[in-house]
Amino acid sequence: MSKTGKKKSKISTKIIYVFLSLLAVIYLLPLVWVIYVSLKDDKTLFVSPWALPERPMIENYTFAWTAGKLGTATLNSALVCGVTLILCLLIGSMAAFAIGRMKWKLSGAVMTYFLTGMMIPVHCILIPVFTRFSKMHLTNSQLGLILPYLTLSLPITIFIMTGFFQSLPNELFESACIDGCSIYRSFTRIALPLSKTGLFVTGLMTFVANWNELLLAMVFISDDTKKTLPVSLSKFVGPYNTNYSQMFAAIVIAIIPTIIVYCMFSNQIVEGLTQGAVKG
Amino acid sequence: MKKKVLSVLLSTAMVASMLVGCGGSGDTPAAPAADNGGSQDTASAGDAEAPAADNSGSSEGVEEITWMFWDDLNATEDLISIGYRETVERFNKDYEGKYHVNVVTTNLEEYYAKLNALVAAGETPDCFIVSPGPNLDVYVDPGVAADLTDYLKADGWLDTFNGGEGAFSQQTYDGKIYAVPLNIAAACVFYNTEMFEKAGITTMPTDWQGMLDACEKLQAAGYTPLTISAGTAWCLSMLAGYLCDSEGVDLAALDSGSASWLDANVVSATNKLVEISKYFQPTAAGDTNDVATANFYNEEAAMLIQGSWAIAQINGANPDFESKCGVFAFPGTDGRVIAKSDSLAMSANTAHPDAVIAFMKYFTDDTAQKYTAEVGGKIPVTTVEYDASKAPAQLAYVMDVFGNAKSTFGFYNESMATTEAGACFDDAMVAIYLGTPVEEGLATIEDFYKNNVWNK
Amino acid sequence: MDKLLRDKKAIVVFVAPAFLLFTFVLFIPICQSVYYSFCDYNALTKPEFIGLGNYKQLFTIDRTMKIALKNSMFFLIFSVVTQLIAGLILAALLTNIKKGRDFFKNVYYLPCVLSSAALGLLWMFVFTPKLGINQILAQFGIEGPLWLMDTKGFIILPMWVIASVSLWQYVGQSMMLYMAQISGISSSLYEASYIDGCTKAQAFRYITLPLIRPMVATAMSLNAIGSLKFFDLIFNMTEGGPNHMTDVLATHLYQQGFKYFKYGYASAIGTVLLVMCLIVTFIINKFVKVENYEM
Repeated sequence: MSKTGKKKSKISTKIIYVFLSLLAVIYLLPLVWVIYVSLKDDKTLFVSPWALPERPMIENYTFAWTAGKLGTATLNSALVCGVTLILCLLIGSMAAFAIGRMKWKLSGAVMTYFLTGMMIPVHCILIPVFTRFSKMHLTNSQLGLILPYLTLSLPITIFIMTGFFQSLPNELFESACIDGCSIYRSFTRIALPLSKTGLFVTGLMTFVANWNELLLAMVFISDDTKKTLPVSLSKFVGPYNTNYSQMFAAIVIAIIPTIIVYCMFSNQIVEGLTQGAVKG
Repeated sequence: MKKKVLSVLLSTAMVASMLVGCGGSGDTPAAPAADNGGSQDTASAGDAEAPAADNSGSSEGVEEITWMFWDDLNATEDLISIGYRETVERFNKDYEGKYHVNVVTTNLEEYYAKLNALVAAGETPDCFIVSPGPNLDVYVDPGVAADLTDYLKADGWLDTFNGGEGAFSQQTYDGKIYAVPLNIAAACVFYNTEMFEKAGITTMPTDWQGMLDACEKLQAAGYTPLTISAGTAWCLSMLAGYLCDSEGVDLAALDSGSASWLDANVVSATNKLVEISKYFQPTAAGDTNDVATANFYNEEAAMLIQGSWAIAQINGANPDFESKCGVFAFPGTDGRVIAKSDSLAMSANTAHPDAVIAFMKYFTDDTAQKYTAEVGGKIPVTTVEYDASKAPAQLAYVMDVFGNAKSTFGFYNESMATTEAGACFDDAMVAIYLGTPVEEGLATIEDFYKNNVWNK
Repeated sequence: MDKLLRDKKAIVVFVAPAFLLFTFVLFIPICQSVYYSFCDYNALTKPEFIGLGNYKQLFTIDRTMKIALKNSMFFLIFSVVTQLIAGLILAALLTNIKKGRDFFKNVYYLPCVLSSAALGLLWMFVFTPKLGINQILAQFGIEGPLWLMDTKGFIILPMWVIASVSLWQYVGQSMMLYMAQISGISSSLYEASYIDGCTKAQAFRYITLPLIRPMVATAMSLNAIGSLKFFDLIFNMTEGGPNHMTDVLATHLYQQGFKYFKYGYASAIGTVLLVMCLIVTFIINKFVKVENYEM
């Protein structure tokens, strides 16, 4: 490349950096702002929303955490999403194994059946599942939330895991077979351990999606002690008044765990989720 | 490891089989029991707690009842809700070993959705709070709410209420009482006495022209005359309700179809709304209820049209403001005042009616009713004597307004044929405020009634 | 070996849990939902068949449905177009820098993993007249518009605001998809083009763009389906208000189903949504098939 070209590209690189930095500010500023107003009290909030808090109101956080039951909500979210994650990986990869590696006539048809699930918006099944579950006393219980979460996470899990299992070399299974390994053992001992990346990717997608899910959780759970994080946020809107600064504290509490985990593993998470989306 | 996998598999199989079992027939009462039993042994199904229904099963001689309420009792800052929490605690303490009430709470937005879900599931809470009007109709018509008349008349409970049976006019259907009111809030005009003085207003407006003159004077003196919320639709609709009522709009006639939403009186009321809207604070369209109220107690506007529940919020947020805050009745209504009461209804299927009645009585006993007036700032429903000096200063004014009222009527959006009709009215009023021509806005309500009310 | 892989019992054991769950929690409810959409069905009554009544009301009388359809279509088009353009630009810029690429990439991707319920509330407050942006504008003497309440125009301001917030939240995903694809393009192709005197912009136009077209289709279908399902942000920013002007199909369904308990009517909205999703998937799938040969 010529000298002038290099100079030119240096200037354009600078412009690119300025642009990217400005954009990064747009991304981070709202998050910083919400932390900052969450430390104010309701009264000064409206009088001077952009002034610094006189004294950081840590109480907003303790209030949101205890009285607002965000602590319980975090636990509930972790429980529901954790159980869903484990079951989804297990059930999903079992089905994927049968579809991807085993030989049967209907495997293609069953795969298509599962894949149609990816196109179905959750809103369409909301009412029938809700009425059915309330008759079975499954609404207002974590199990009632786990079942639909699990089901809605299955298509993508099966899809991605089938791809993974199909890519495993045949020889591995053949030699295991000669050693007298049963089909179940070759699933748990060979297929699963070799597909860790796949499990990580699908697990991540499932967990993030369910952790943030609002609609089902809102419709299904009414008991405060069983609400998940996204639903609990709405609790700060009272009948005749809203606790604003505590609401901000609640928003912070709801997003901070994700941000921390994200900061620690951002590269893996971004790559993992992208991989999943590419395959999806 | 193997065992764990096995148990997970088992639980899955169980869930699946349970679903199969229920798939065809729809209603299998045995399924939930099997589920609760099963999930306790399996590590996977983390939910060992039984849903609300199990609370009603009296285990050790204690009769357990559930009460469903629309605010989180632990997180709330609303003084009335805090009073309810104290009542619940008092009841549970006094009846320890005999009765126990468990509270199921939601936020107001989702309240009726959750309640209906429980009703549909056959798990109606033993006792639940409800607003009189179409919201209560929904539970009275299919027999979900129990007839309380006999309980009220049995031991003089009814006589403790201010006005006797008259206190139950909004809760009575065919002479039977289906809910017990707990307190009354009246919608009034709150005003900043200092600003009124500085603007040279000495007598409170008593008619529409007086109201407009006052606004004009306030504006000339450099104040924002009125703060209101159009972001929270019912706030604007409360003002619209007053205007409609003072124009003689007859909701019953509208429900039956003998009057039209395009009639001259509705149009004239709506025009008045447009007329006064130029005195609103500039951000009214986006402000929520809370922000509008904050504008008032932070002394950024001279008047606030609100229910008397706002007293607690005003005094709580800015205690210094109490002495400057005056109250007058909405002008030009010929002595009619919008009143709203929280009411309690009992499930017609409750297994523990006595416990529920005992619980309800705790809400209307002297301790609770005194609290209602002295701390909560709402009008008590019983004839309890309370210490007026302890009560917020504004309560006395509200009591005056209420006492002088010739008659009361409910919230407009809660007095229509259905809750959706009420929401349609609210939305139309907001749309008109935001610039939709009056006739066009009213036509949306007219259309809604044509398609949903008059043809049924 | 073959015998083992044809073990019928094992296949059933492996597939049954997923198959049963899928059937009972997804497939049967879909059928029920379609059936309910032909019924007069409220929370406290039994479903009663009324034929096309719900659909008739939905398409001829219901004003909100018209608005919701318009808004959903707007979201669909807006998010497909803007995510494509913004995602491509970001991906192109990021692949061209070395320092800080990971940082920027991770920052832009961050909102994708955060709860849209929380972010919706956050942005709602940012656009509240008394709190956020308008207060800053007021410092400069500018009176900001009513971001979430203005109702003028064919596509009203709040819709643009919400659509922009959703672009803000999800553009990271499109960006990553394109970056993944771009990083797979052999650098020798670019080197050759530079030797031939290509500028970077030209290389982007004639090498990058054609080679990432299949990914464009993938990203588009993700965006399209995602925007039709759009609920959380709107619910927490405006709840469909003012006067249903910002309702989309999903919020309209929620209100009709769980505020007014018209289960049958809400199911009809759900069925419309389902059909739209299927059509969009179908169209995009056709598009993918046409483009796939290039890889």
